[in-house]
Formats: sequence, C-alpha cells, structure tokens
Amino acid sequence: MVINDVDVREDPAWLKKHKTGKGQALEAPVKNAVDKFQLLPAFLKVRGLVKQHIDSFNYFVNCEIKKIIHAKANEKITSDVDPNYYIKYLDIYVGKPSLEQDYMVESITPQQCRLRDITYAAPISVDIEYTRGKEIVSRKSKQGQGGVVIGRMPIMLRSSRCVLTGKTEAQVAKLGECPLDPGGYFVVKGTEKVILIQEQLSKNRIIIDTDSSGCVAASVTSSTHERKSKTNFLVKHERIYVRLNTFTDDVPIIVVFKAMGMESDQEIVQLVGRDPRYAGILTPSLQECSSLGVYTENQALEYLGTKVKVMQKAWMKQTKSKVDEARDILQNVFLAHVPVKEYNFRQKCIYVGVILRRMLEAMMDPSFVDDKDYVGNKRLELAGQLIALLFEDLFKRMNSEIKRLVDSTFAKPNRSTVFDVAKVIRPDMLSQGLEHAISSGNWTVKRFRMERKGVTQVVSRLSFIAALGHMTRISSQFEKTRKVSGPRALQPSQWGMLCPCDTPEGEACGLTKNLALMTHVTTDEEEGPLINLCTTLGVEDLSMLTGDEINSTKAYMVIFNGLMLGVHRRPNWFANTLRLLRRCGKIGEFVSIFTNPKQRCVYVASDGGRVCRPLVIADQGISRVKEHHMKELKDGFRTFDDFLREGLVEYLDVNEENNTLIALYESEATSRTTHIEIEPFTILGVCAGLIPFPHHNQSPRNTYQCAMGKQAMGNIAYNQLCRMDTLLYLLVYPQRPLLTTRSIELVKYDKLGAGQNATVAVMSYSGYDIEDAIVMNKSSLDRGFGRCIVMKKASAPIKKYANRTSDRIVAPRLIADKEGCLRVPDRAQILDYDGIGGVGEIIRPGDIYINKESPINTRDTVPNPMAIPDSAYKPTPMTYKGPPGECAIVDKVLLTSNDEQQFMIKVLFRHTRRPEIGDKFSSRHGQKGVCGTIVQQEDFPFSERGICPDLIMNPHGFPSRMTIGKMIELLGGKAGVLSGKFHYGSAFGEPSGHADTVEAISATLVKHGFSYCGKDFLYSGITGNPLQSYIFMGPIYYQKLKHMVLDKMHARASGPRMVLTRQPTEGRSREGGLRLGEMERDCLIAHGSSMLLLERLMISSDQFVVQVCTKCGLLGHHNHKLRMSFCSTCRNGENIATMKLPYACKLLFQELQSMNIVPKLDLAEA
Amino acid sequence: MDGGMAPPPPEPVSYLCGDCGADNSLKPGDVIQCRECGYRILYKKRTRRIVQYEAR
Repeated sequence: MVINDVDVREDPAWLKKHKTGKGQALEAPVKNAVDKFQLLPAFLKVRGLVKQHIDSFNYFVNCEIKKIIHAKANEKITSDVDPNYYIKYLDIYVGKPSLEQDYMVESITPQQCRLRDITYAAPISVDIEYTRGKEIVSRKSKQGQGGVVIGRMPIMLRSSRCVLTGKTEAQVAKLGECPLDPGGYFVVKGTEKVILIQEQLSKNRIIIDTDSSGCVAASVTSSTHERKSKTNFLVKHERIYVRLNTFTDDVPIIVVFKAMGMESDQEIVQLVGRDPRYAGILTPSLQECSSLGVYTENQALEYLGTKVKVMQKAWMKQTKSKVDEARDILQNVFLAHVPVKEYNFRQKCIYVGVILRRMLEAMMDPSFVDDKDYVGNKRLELAGQLIALLFEDLFKRMNSEIKRLVDSTFAKPNRSTVFDVAKVIRPDMLSQGLEHAISSGNWTVKRFRMERKGVTQVVSRLSFIAALGHMTRISSQFEKTRKVSGPRALQPSQWGMLCPCDTPEGEACGLTKNLALMTHVTTDEEEGPLINLCTTLGVEDLSMLTGDEINSTKAYMVIFNGLMLGVHRRPNWFANTLRLLRRCGKIGEFVSIFTNPKQRCVYVASDGGRVCRPLVIADQGISRVKEHHMKELKDGFRTFDDFLREGLVEYLDVNEENNTLIALYESEATSRTTHIEIEPFTILGVCAGLIPFPHHNQSPRNTYQCAMGKQAMGNIAYNQLCRMDTLLYLLVYPQRPLLTTRSIELVKYDKLGAGQNATVAVMSYSGYDIEDAIVMNKSSLDRGFGRCIVMKKASAPIKKYANRTSDRIVAPRLIADKEGCLRVPDRAQILDYDGIGGVGEIIRPGDIYINKESPINTRDTVPNPMAIPDSAYKPTPMTYKGPPGECAIVDKVLLTSNDEQQFMIKVLFRHTRRPEIGDKFSSRHGQKGVCGTIVQQEDFPFSERGICPDLIMNPHGFPSRMTIGKMIELLGGKAGVLSGKFHYGSAFGEPSGHADTVEAISATLVKHGFSYCGKDFLYSGITGNPLQSYIFMGPIYYQKLKHMVLDKMHARASGPRMVLTRQPTEGRSREGGLRLGEMERDCLIAHGSSMLLLERLMISSDQFVVQVCTKCGLLGHHNHKLRMSFCSTCRNGENIATMKLPYACKLLFQELQSMNIVPKLDLAEA
Repeated sequence: MDGGMAPPPPEPVSYLCGDCGADNSLKPGDVIQCRECGYRILYKKRTRRIVQYEAR
C-alpha cells in the first residue's frame, strides 16, 4: 500500500484520483495491518525525548537521596567525646530552584541563570533530631522545606523539581524558555552542562570470558552501597584460582570453599554439578588443596590469612587475628554483593558453585563464553546515579566534618554557650562539591577509588539537533587509543536500542553511541516485593536445597538482579506468570524476565541502567493493538500509558528479547510471533532520523550526515535571540525540509530546521565544481540563500579588589584634535555616555565597546576606596576583535550581577554573512562540499518554465558515494513542490506508508508534466543553446555548516614574534607564521636547495647578527658608541668576526652557558 | 560615524528591565536591579544616534 500522507488518505476525492502503479485502487480497505505509528507520538508525548535523564534524576531526588541519608553509615552522627550526643537525619528534601539574595529567597528560572552566570540549583534541607545540652531537639519541616539547609543541588531542567514542569508551552515561553527544548541538562555558573550517559559492564553479574592465553576466566564486579569489589576466577595449570585485590596471591578455589565452611569435597563437586566431567576438571584443584594440607575450615582460613595483604599502618594496633581477617575478607570483599548473615556462607558457596559450573561449561564448550559487548551485559549509568555517588561522598564528608566539629567543641573544658549543631552546619561544601564536579566533569569518589574525567560536557548549541543529540549520547569506558574492534563493532543486540548510524568517525568510532528513538533506560526498582512475589510463585529457597537438587535437570535456577533466589520446577510457567503480572501492572513495567535454557536459569531483573524499548504484544501472531485502539488514541481517549496498563504494549530489555519472536510487520507475523515492532524506523536515533530514505544510502554516508547534522546552522531554539551564548550560528531564512520523515516531525525538526530547500541541478559547470565543490547562483544568494548570522558574546566582569577598590566604567575621555577642539577619539565613537557601546551601533575591529578603568593599586588599603582620584586608574578598555575589514553590530547589551554581587556586562555582537567561496555546505546524505564559485544567474542554466537552479552539483559525487537516498529526495522534493505537499521518506517506511515509493513520486511528476525520472530540459545560460543532455534537477534540503572561510582564512608576511625566541608566533589567532615543518625541510634538503632552506629557516624567521671571537669561540658584543666589537672573555676586539645566526641558536648557547656548558663556535672561511 | 561632529551633550543613559520593561537609570555603584519589580537583568536601550547599515 503506498500512501503519501496519512491525512490525505482519508480524503475520498484524492483517493479516487490516485491509483498505484499496479492499478490497484487505494480505497481498498486495509484490514489486517493496523497503523501503529500513532503510538510513537503518544509515546514521545508521555516520555519526551530525553526522558531517561529526567527519570533518573527524578528517581535520585525523590527516592535515592532518601535512601542515602537513611543508610546505616550515614543516618546518625555520634561523638567520641560525649556518648550522649547524637544527630540523626529524619528526612531530606530537595526544594524548588531558588536563590537567596539580600536575605530574600527568590525563585529562579533557567534562563535567568544562563544570563546571570549562576547555577540553577535548589536548596537541600534536612529534618534532624539532636541533643542540645540535656534536651533532645528536633528541627522539622514546614511547607516542604526541611529544618536545616545543608547545601544546594543543581537541578536538571524539566525534572520534577524544575520550574518548567507541568507548564504549558505558553507558560514555558513566558519564563524565557524554548518550549521545544528537551531539558535533561544542568545550568551551572551560566553554562549548560549535560552529564553524558556512561556505558559500563553490568554490576553483580557473572561474566565468563577468556583471557589472553585462551583460558576461561570469570569475573564479577560487585557493587553495593557500602563497597565495590572485583572478584576474578581464573584457570592456571588446569587449576582454578580466585584473584582478589586484598590477597597478595591467587588462592585456590577449593581452599576458599573450605574457608566458607564447605569442608567436604563431595559437597563441593555436588554443588558444581553431578556431571562426571565436572569432577574430572575439578580434580587437580581438589588435589592441590589436599596437598596444601587444608582439610578443615580453620586450616583454610589460616592458609588464607597468610595471603592477606598487610596494611602498612604501623600506628594501628593489630587487633584481629589472621583467621578473622581472612573471614572478614570472604564476607565483605569476596563477591561483596552476596549477603552473608552471621557468617553463614551458604549462599556465597552456591554462588561460587554456579560460577564454577559456568566456567567448566565454557571450558568444555566455548559457546558458553559470554560476550562482553552484548548489550544485555551492559548497564547505562545516568545523571541521577552519578550525582547520587557524588552526593553520598560529599554527604559523608560533611558528616565527618560535623563530627570533627562536635568532638572538638566537646573536648574543650568550659564552653560558654550551649552547642547547637544546627547553627554550625555549613552548606558550602555540598553545594560547591556538586557544582564543581558538574562544571569541571571530574568525578572523584575516593571511597570507591573512582576518578573519571570528562563526565560532563557543555551542551552543544550549534543547532537544535546538536543539543538534542547531545542528550542521547552514550560514552563508553573503553580506552580510545586501543585498537580493538570488539567494543566498536555494531552489535546485533543493539537493534532498536542504540542507533546504528550515529557514531563519530575517528578514534571514538563505535565507542560513543547514541540512543535510538524509543529507548528507555530503567531506574532501580524496589527489590523486596519482587523477591516476595517470586517466593509466592513457587521459587524454592536455596537454603533448603542441596547441591544436587539445585543442579537437577528438572529445575531452573531463579536469579534476581544477580542473586540466586532459588530454583523453580516450572520455569516457563513462572516466567509467563511474572510477565502476566507485569502486563497487568502489578509489578513494574520495566522488570524483565528472561529464561535462559542453555544455562537453565530464569533471570529476573529490576535494576537500573538496562536499556529497553516498547513493543506491541501479539498472541500467536495476532496483534493485541487493534484498529479501535488506535482510533481511541487518535481521538484522545487513550494515552500510551493506557496501552501499557492494558497489556497491549510492553517494555522489553535486551535479555528478554531473546525469549521473543518479534515480527517487523504485522503481515509477517506467524503463529509463533510474540511481539510486533511499533515502527521499524525507531531503530534510528534523533540525528539519523533526519535523513530521508536512509535505507537507500550506503551506510557510512548516514554516519557522516549524523556528524554533520550537528554542525548545520539553523534555528537553535525559540528563545535563540534572548540567549547570550559565547558563539551562536543562526540561519537568516531557515526552512523546513520539503522531504520530511516521521522522525523529523517527532523531534520537531520541522519547527526548528537547519537548512534550506535548494533547487539543485546535477551537472557539470565551469570546472569550479570538481572535488565536491558546488556552484552557487548569485541571485539566490541575494535572495538570502545560505545567509547566516554569527553572534558573539563578550562579557566583562567589573572586578572588586581586596582593598575595596573596584573597576569602573566611565564616559569616553575627550581629546583635542589638530584644530584644538575637543572630540571623542575615533576608537571610542560608539560609546554612549555610560561608557558602554550603544545598541545597534556598527563596530569595527579595534573599537572600544566598554570603556573600563581599573585601579592601579589593588593591594594596599586605600582610605576612601569609592573616591580615589582619576589618576589612580589605568584604562583597561575592552576592544572588539573580529575579522579585519568586516564590521559587526552591537546587538544587545546586558547588565546584571551574579550571586556574589559581582557586576557584569555582557555585550552581544551580530555579524551577518552571505555565502562566499569556500563556505561549506552539505545535503542530508553525507555529501559535503564547499562553494567553488558564485555565478551570475544570467549564466546559469534554466528550463523553459524559467526554473533556474540555486546550486549546481557535480554528478561525480554519486557513483562512488552511492547515495541513492539523495536522488529520491530530489525526486520527492520535486513532486512535493508540484503537488503542494510534503512527501515522506522515513527509514524503511515504504511498506508502512511512511515513505513514498519512487513509482508514486514518478506518477506525481508525470501528472504535472515532468519527466518521470526527474530530468529536465535545460538551456545553457551562457550560449542560450539547449544542453546536450537532460539534467536531473529538483529541490534538495541543503545545510550550511559552521565552517566558514571568514573564520579560517589566514596569511602573513611579517607580524608578531615571540619574545623569547624571536621566531614568528604560532596560530591564526596570534596572526602567526606558516610553519615550514620538518618534512618540508627534508624535502628541501633532499632537493639540495640550500639557499631556500636558509631563507626559510633563518632569514625569514629569527635572523640575528652576532659577534664571535675567533680565538676563544665565544660570543662578544658590539659597542655602538665606539663602533667596535669586543670579545667579553678576551677583553679585546682583535679577533672578532660578525656572522648571522638564528636567534634561537644564540639563545641555546646562552642557556647552555648558564648551566656550565660552554659551546664554542669554530669559524672557518666560507 | 561622522568624525567631525561636536561631542554629544552628556545625556543620562537609561536601561530597560528584562522582566517588566520599566525604565531604570543607574549610577556608578548602584545595584543592578529594576526599581519597579526587583528583576536583576537590565538591557541597554537602542542607540538614539542614526545608524546606516549596509544591505548586501
């Protein structure tokens, strides 16, 4: 079924007129395929595009923060000095974003924070109970605000605490915010910061791997609130060992078993499994244990005690025996996440047994080795979890600080006043810790020895899509330099979860990924009720079972979040019942149930960080979503949540997908099908979603476009002109693409486009179009094609100094000119009486826009700092620096003060540019090119209808790039122009009607009197003759990229030099020289052009005349008065020769001399 | 800009409040705050001088 537009489909008149290529009438009712597309907007309406960030932050603010303060180690502070003293945290609140200024608490908006360079943060307050003197006092909340403020928490935009939540578009706009802005980032000190999603290997899961020598190894990264540890199991000389950081050496696994109280070898083997081959592989390990003489628990612990790393803490008295120490390690470090109650190691033994069995299975059959790159073995760490880590660390630090304070006050013999802890809590530490971490991106948690850099990034505001794409970005922990293909490769399991196209090229290729359109990242869920439910559904507790029963072939083990709960005799019934409960909404919608017949396990997962996506449930291949459901959705009687609640749609994570059979389309479903995809194009992310017909392109082209879409100029946000970004690129006349996709509509790219529909003629013209260059029509440029605005911000803080003097801004000083009349200096022409440039004035490079003066003396105390004389100031004006010859316009001047009462002026300069030769353009198919020449419209080819292209593209761009999508875009765009509607080109959209087929487009073209193939009959604009061939011509959406010649061009004849070496400076920004590097030098050497070499390396660089004493070989000096040269060492001027040297060489000699090395010049006649 | 012009007479510069749009005049050392509504962001008014832009 081919339909151009869903809305048109309902129009009977239209339907009558249009027939498909096969002659089949379109009005034939679609019976079996339900158009599920409407689910997508509904899904995005309830979820938003960056819901994963917001959900995770909300979870932290609402739940996790409470868990942190109620954790055993954090809840109570006691004093070592006074045993009666305590402080107890009762509750914690994160309020609404506000700022206290002049003892007034004002609510703040994100836009205010951006403009004022302050942090969008809310007070964190706690209810506490503590002793004051002899009484117990409690500080309780009133109106949602806790008793004591302990700090300020940066608030994620559009999270539950943000002022923007629950507001309508108009209300959001009233607050100066763009309604289309996705949120999900922070505003810290005026800059927008996003905490990137971090990809990690799953915690608390057994990963079977092979080491470098091909041996099987297992590793478990345990992570609990108190502790993080990594436990490795490895095979050495056919024996299995445990490797732990706290042991100096690898310890035999059997010894560990015995130390955990499992003394009988038979029991151990039984626990691993009854297969005789298992016992065979385990024999060497068992043998080693007995040869070590370890038979009992005590012997094993004593053995382990000898392997414990000795802490180098001489001042600490050794209190524990070696045995106790070993037992403590086994309890707390070895597989730390498996609970051990009262030294009952039973559960841990079973856990080790399972690990061993997995290892043995993997030894016998390599297909049992886990894939580390499998997305189901990955967890995504989001903003909420990362901030939680940081918050807990800072909270603990604050508590220890309070404890120190309490101890020191109680230690004093006589205190004058009663100590009140509520008055000494200082909120700076928490606020600054959080603020600093987010603004610098350095996450350091000493407790877990975590030190990560670059966790946060400044939100890229080059274009709307760039900002959106930044929110869905996932950075991986892998090293970028390592040349490994595994983690970089496309994983089949990332289907529908991570975008297959959107990854950068180069070193981070495949390591930085992006979420797909419908992906959701889970947050932690309450475990207790789920465990109870499992037990109720017939999971037999492990403590009641022997190893033999656990490993029996009849039962499956039930593993909940990496912990063995027990076994179940009817695993499929169990899994299906749990799924049923999930579909009823009795348990969380993101709980995943996955049966693994190979490992004979049922995995139930409710932990955070799993990626999952919604799918339509099907019963024996028949979709549960029916036509009437979609109608109700369309009429607004239903939301996406209703679909979830009624069990029509469910979320599946990567593991559970293995238990399903998912049909791409309803028509392809068989009786075994369990789920149906909602829409196939949702496998792509936001950036790849912009590409029309991406399924017709060669895949790297889509990847290139994903990178380039982020550099395209266009509209940034609805509030773009109210923002004061350091650098902002805007398009003057942005358009929405003629050929759209469903993703474009969903992400609202059609409202904030970044490009223009250019009529492109694919032909060769003028020779200035080779190597992807494009020829542009000058009249099109006059009409505004590719015209852009570059906004630059300059900000000037009015500093206050320690001696209470401060900078000041004054009106321009008048100076007398030649005729003696007073006038404003040329540089200060645009200044107003307040000493700040006038808004709307034209400013040229070198002009002053803020006439600032700074006090000369900023250290010593001045009697009256406000009234020091003018002579005590030195002028420190701010001058405009821009491209020479170009002039900008002062667009906006803003005066404000930040939270430290620092006065600040921000000036925004506007520069409008029209395209010039060398500016970079790109279509949406990874086809970038620079403007090669600009030609008068008179010389451009034209058709008999008078259509003249905006740009000409060389056809050589097509054969090797294979971007068929671009050709179809041209066709579709042309048909769209002719028929007056937008055509669609969603990925894989032809079967579901979200992309037009070439046949349908061609039919439209023919109907309007054009060739079916999109070619036009053109006349040469130069000769007026018809062109020899028909030209493929039509509109293509073109993006102007941020790389412009004006920002890059650079040349230098002579210019500034470095002070130290007298060589030319480096870099365009310093008007630097163009370097003749070592490779270029090698060429000249090889060519033998020594004079050129000398000219380049010395004469044009740092030539210097020196006086050399031919006798002693040292450098002398020239006395200009006597016009004589002398050798300073020989104290005469007899043997002096004058020669030229690079100044750097002379500098080297002198530096060597300063280190007692004497370089001497031995001169010979040339 | 025409360079030969006599210096403009000192005229007080007033600023617009970013929230309510009220006129505010500032003296050196003043707190940046709107007198009407207390908003702390002020914008400078457009210049009253004549400027001629080049359209190309």
